[in-house]
Amino acid sequence: MKRKKKSIYPLYALIPALVIYTIFSVVPIAISLLLSFTDWNMNRLFTPVFTGLANYAELLQDPVFLRSIGNTFLFAFATTILKTGIGFILALALVKKVAARGILRTIYYAPCVISITVVGVLFKSILANRGLLNNVLSGIGLEGLTRDWLGSYGTAIGSVIFVEVWMWAGFNMFIFISGLQAISADYYESATLDGASAYDKFRHITLPLIVPSMTVVVTLSIAGGLKVFDIIYVITNGGPGFDTQVLATYTYQSFSLGFLGESTAGSVILAVIVVIISFAMNRYFTKREVEM
Amino acid sequence: MKTKKRAGTVVLSVCLIAVALIYVIPFLMMLLGSFKIQAEAARFDLALPTKWEFSNYAHVMESGKILRGYVNSVIITVPVTLISVLLGAVAGIVISRRNDRMTRGIYYYFIFGLTLTLQIASIFFLLKALNIYGTFFSVICIFISLRIPFTVMTFCSFVKGVPREIDEAAVIDGCNFWQMSVKVLLPILKPIMVTNIVITSIDVWNNFMIPLFYLSSAKKATVSMAIYSFFGRYNRDWQFVFAALMLAVLPMLILFVILQKHIIAGMTSGAVKG
Repeated sequence: MKRKKKSIYPLYALIPALVIYTIFSVVPIAISLLLSFTDWNMNRLFTPVFTGLANYAELLQDPVFLRSIGNTFLFAFATTILKTGIGFILALALVKKVAARGILRTIYYAPCVISITVVGVLFKSILANRGLLNNVLSGIGLEGLTRDWLGSYGTAIGSVIFVEVWMWAGFNMFIFISGLQAISADYYESATLDGASAYDKFRHITLPLIVPSMTVVVTLSIAGGLKVFDIIYVITNGGPGFDTQVLATYTYQSFSLGFLGESTAGSVILAVIVVIISFAMNRYFTKREVEM
Repeated sequence: MKTKKRAGTVVLSVCLIAVALIYVIPFLMMLLGSFKIQAEAARFDLALPTKWEFSNYAHVMESGKILRGYVNSVIITVPVTLISVLLGAVAGIVISRRNDRMTRGIYYYFIFGLTLTLQIASIFFLLKALNIYGTFFSVICIFISLRIPFTVMTFCSFVKGVPREIDEAAVIDGCNFWQMSVKVLLPILKPIMVTNIVITSIDVWNNFMIPLFYLSSAKKATVSMAIYSFFGRYNRDWQFVFAALMLAVLPMLILFVILQKHIIAGMTSGAVKG
């Protein structure tokens, strides 16, 4: 009976959203899939020539591209672990009644409302050879530790990882705080009556019940990490040399040099990696979620 | 026992304040540096300026195109926020209320967008083919399409929690779909509206990639881009760079402090649903 009735919710109301989303998000993916198999550049923007797997073959033989895949994974996994871990520890500390809790929460959270270009330029002045960090280090007698942080491989990639974590740990902290606050105090009380130690309570109540928040944080962080572009573009622009080049900056670079075919093949590889890893992560964590 | 616990809290507080310093010191250096003369600013320390150079700000205002950047950022952020939230709300209502095979399919079609990565070259090609490359219009459309999956998802899950009887009562009273949505559902959807408005506007305002890729002219530069190119031109005059950064950060920080509760609730609840 009810199904026969004409629904008052008109399907045509979906059309504007469908049209914009299809044209600007889905069509480009289709174009990428097609044109990544062609010889395509700025001079022949509208006349690409089919070349099969040539672009992919070329990318996989390019040491810079292979390196940028490695860097992408390194960046994504390192920032995910640190952002999640530090966010969780801060949340555990700030969910308690500590002095100045409100102000501390605000301070940790503030960076993620600020533009990445501002953060990036600011950290360039901190990490520069004569920057704030080296000044502080020599000020407290640790001159041996001073170095050109953005000038060599290990410290350059470490620096961008640090800045990313600095920006987003506070955001994850808030997701964890709302997760922790949702855990009923009754669990802890009855565990205390049963004589459970603080560690037991953490291990058997807090950890299992925080897994849903963990899923959100890890999935967001890993996808964000794999797609990273702006923080690296602003702070190191892929340098020194190609040391901090990641997939997104690589595809942008070949795009701005006019190599559209290679750039697109790179975008397709990145898209496949992001889809596979986010689905795998999500499944892994969803399996471990406790039914509430 | 009690004193041991108190000692623990003190140690914890000290640690937390030490971490907070890592957050505060960069801003402090920027603030102080923006009032220094060139030689002092380039020392990158936390010393007070010997002479307070307020003229740094005047110089940046004149040559930094920061104000123009503000206007451009508003031109992009306001329509993107309004349109994507509006389209997302309508789609969310229709999809979650109809909940038949077709709309479920459309839902997954939208959600698929959350895993998409930006196709730099293909979008460039598309914009050229449509002859809208380099326009605010094209950038606004790209942003809306990027935001739609998230707004649709959050509105869908929110509307599911609103009892159907409310809609039905309004229809019996003679409302059509649009009247019912505006008069009855809109007030109920306010929390998720606020969430989406906050997340979208912060995301679009701070976004650097899309304007960088698709707004070629310097006249159309957003705040983020203006700061970046200002840094490129003045990278020896750190006093000016710091002043420019201050001008970019200050309005955001003031807004953040005023709207803190909404922003934090909005950004995190949105993420949790994601």
